[in-house]
Amino acid sequence: MFAEGVYVVGAGMTVFSGKLHAGKTGRELLVEAVEEAVKSVDKGIDLQKDVEAVFTGYFTPEYYEHQSHIGPLAATWLGLTPKPAFRTEIACASSSAALFTGITAIASGLYDVVLVAGVEKMTSLETERVTEALALASDDLSESRVGATFPGLYALLAQAYFHKYGATWEQLQRVPIKNHYNGSLNPKAHFQESISQIAEKVGKKLGVKYEDEMDFLKNSPFNRVVAYPLRLFDCCPISDGAAVAILASGRAARRFTDTPLRLLGLGLGSDNVALQDRVDLTSLAASRSAAEAAYRTSGLKPKDIDMAEVHDCFTIAEWLAVEDLGLVGRGEAPKAYEQGLTSLDGDIPVNTDGGLKAKGHPVGATGIGMLNEVWSQLRGTAGRRQIKNKAEVGLIHNVGGSGASAAVFIFGR
Amino acid sequence: MGEGQLSRFFSELEAGRLTGGKCKNCGSIFIPPRPLCSRCGGEMETVNLKGEGTIESFTVIHVPPVFLKEAAPYILALVRLEEGALVMGRLLGYDPNKPEEVKIGSRVCFQPLREKHGEKEETIIAFKPA
Repeated sequence: MFAEGVYVVGAGMTVFSGKLHAGKTGRELLVEAVEEAVKSVDKGIDLQKDVEAVFTGYFTPEYYEHQSHIGPLAATWLGLTPKPAFRTEIACASSSAALFTGITAIASGLYDVVLVAGVEKMTSLETERVTEALALASDDLSESRVGATFPGLYALLAQAYFHKYGATWEQLQRVPIKNHYNGSLNPKAHFQESISQIAEKVGKKLGVKYEDEMDFLKNSPFNRVVAYPLRLFDCCPISDGAAVAILASGRAARRFTDTPLRLLGLGLGSDNVALQDRVDLTSLAASRSAAEAAYRTSGLKPKDIDMAEVHDCFTIAEWLAVEDLGLVGRGEAPKAYEQGLTSLDGDIPVNTDGGLKAKGHPVGATGIGMLNEVWSQLRGTAGRRQIKNKAEVGLIHNVGGSGASAAVFIFGR
Repeated sequence: MGEGQLSRFFSELEAGRLTGGKCKNCGSIFIPPRPLCSRCGGEMETVNLKGEGTIESFTVIHVPPVFLKEAAPYILALVRLEEGALVMGRLLGYDPNKPEEVKIGSRVCFQPLREKHGEKEETIIAFKPA
């Protein structure tokens, strides 16, 4: 498939942040990310002349900015009208739907160059209102109504996983420890501090000395329970941000760069929205379907993947992701994380940018934010967090809601 | 005005009865009832459920949605009913501050819970120890 190929020729993103963008709107963040993407095109690009369509992921602009009709609004602010422009939405994987749309539009032969984008401006609302906005991705009648929140849904998955495999919350803390360390090396991350740095800072304020990261995570009142057994550091933050990528066809790509990324495979999947309508609580079926399709279309196997960006909206989600992607066997995540398999210097580095946990999760921007990291790592421009043996093949895995949507894309140099 | 399947489900719930949809093709049961099976697309029929089952997973919500500000912390559970269906409900009869006392696999039974949700009062699915 993709006889002529689909390529990434540029990528850009804003810093993901809880504070920095307080005085800005989603549309301004989008323009900021596009400006960076334009600069990233090696041989230059004329945005208005070259781009033929723009697809934008944004989960709930109605809630955050009292705004729908984001597609043409993006085109308006980028000077791209009257080109085709619409919004895509599958909750936290909304920009993966934009990416999918852009890829298929090019693969069909309809366009040579498209812009795909994602944005979410979340901090305009109080935390409890954000919680409500996020809950819109669950089944309103059977989940929200009885009091489920997103941390709550993932806590239910965590408890089922712990029960089945005898795993513990303590073992799961390898996820935030790793991701915060990676985030500390990423100038675009929401949290650019390791957990030991945070522990020292909090300790000073409270007049306590924490022995190590686990002592802090376990015993600090700062790491309060959100939805048992998940605590604050098991949850990604509320972030503002935007991320974009410029896609080109095989015949157009070399006009823009000699080192594009090539799309190798892709897959999307869905599952019943409510957890109670699912077959298995220790795995996300949508992720497994999406991964299976991505491996099939690329002809690759999990062992061919050099690095992966996976959806760790909550710590347990990262364990489920690496298992559903086949990077480790079912039930093997606790051991793999103890051995450091997914660390920056491990065999399969996962979430080298800090993941949703530390890089942040401006919901609609997350999928293409992941693509930005693959773009940097594969082209060797990831700076202090660059993987030592330059990666040849990178995978992104983006989940919508508690797993009713999933997307997997595999890119190569 | 015709009554929809879901409003019928909720009026049954108000009356203290738990109903589900059973697939005539694959036998799966889903709550609430629905016209087509969420597993195989088969035709469904509405069935009464006994409301007895075991805890399959649970959590304690400490940061609730706005409409439940006063109810937190509270326990949410996924319960596997004897008929095979899985359903989410509030778990009563345990101390939310002692989650270690709740055990996956414990037997529970359905008990409708009337609760204030903002301005209105609603009946939701809940369970208590059997």
